[in-house]
Amino acid sequence: MPDIFIAEPKAETPAPLIAPKSLISAITETPENPVHLFSAFKKDPDGVDFKDKEGEEKIILFIRRTFISNFRWLFFGSLLLILPLFLPLFLRFFPNPFPILSNMFYLFLGIFYYLVVATYWFINFIGWYFNIALVTDKRVIDINFSNLVYKDVAATKMNLVQDVSFSQIGAIRTFFDYGDVLVQTAGNLDNFIFESAPQPENIVHIVEDLIGKHNELFS
Amino acid sequence: MQFGFFAKVGFLALDFFFVLFLLVAARQVYAMNAIISGSGNPYVVKVSVLVLLVIAVSLFLTALVIL
Repeated sequence: MPDIFIAEPKAETPAPLIAPKSLISAITETPENPVHLFSAFKKDPDGVDFKDKEGEEKIILFIRRTFISNFRWLFFGSLLLILPLFLPLFLRFFPNPFPILSNMFYLFLGIFYYLVVATYWFINFIGWYFNIALVTDKRVIDINFSNLVYKDVAATKMNLVQDVSFSQIGAIRTFFDYGDVLVQTAGNLDNFIFESAPQPENIVHIVEDLIGKHNELFS
Repeated sequence: MQFGFFAKVGFLALDFFFVLFLLVAARQVYAMNAIISGSGNPYVVKVSVLVLLVIAVSLFLTALVIL
């Protein structure tokens, strides 16, 4: 009798490849202590890298100006955003000042205006975002970036740091706990000033500890 | 007629210089990201400047055709 149906022999399915947990975590590893977009102070940050970083150099502190220091441009930028809302009031006194221009032209002008406002926000933001001070176990690095065209990267070795101090003047600075940290270096080298740094006392303690360790190591 | 023409040419010139300014901004953002990386979210910053640039170029081209 002919067979109507013959079941195919079951092919042995290979056991699914399961990578060891350590390999999975290595591939999908996320830094434990990452620096976020709006972070201004981070101790022992993960994932931060800079040009000319030595292989075994470890970043101890990551410092930006405190976010409160952005208040001025945030406020002014917000004013610029709502300024066109007062345009009808202006037009009540000066109805259609340029009748020769089409409505389309005014539409383009409006879009361009908001593009300029967005750029104003962005330029101020990157002025804050790229102004970074780093304290590593070997060096102090100050990255300055302002007005879009000025950038300056200065670094000094930890054994050349002589003293570190901070000033916190005013009620607002005391309330929000930020101030200027001065890192004095030996000889004719430029001093470093971390302006409006959050937790200045903490920064001073950490840098002092690092100076102490270096002195102990080299004495 | 003449005022309208000059207003449009002026707008186009302004937009053109604005595009150039944004190109400088984009270049600086990329240069700074090469100096320091991992200081936040570099993609947000890079994408933001590119979006601004694309909008500015689109506005310029649209204005060139329509106005």
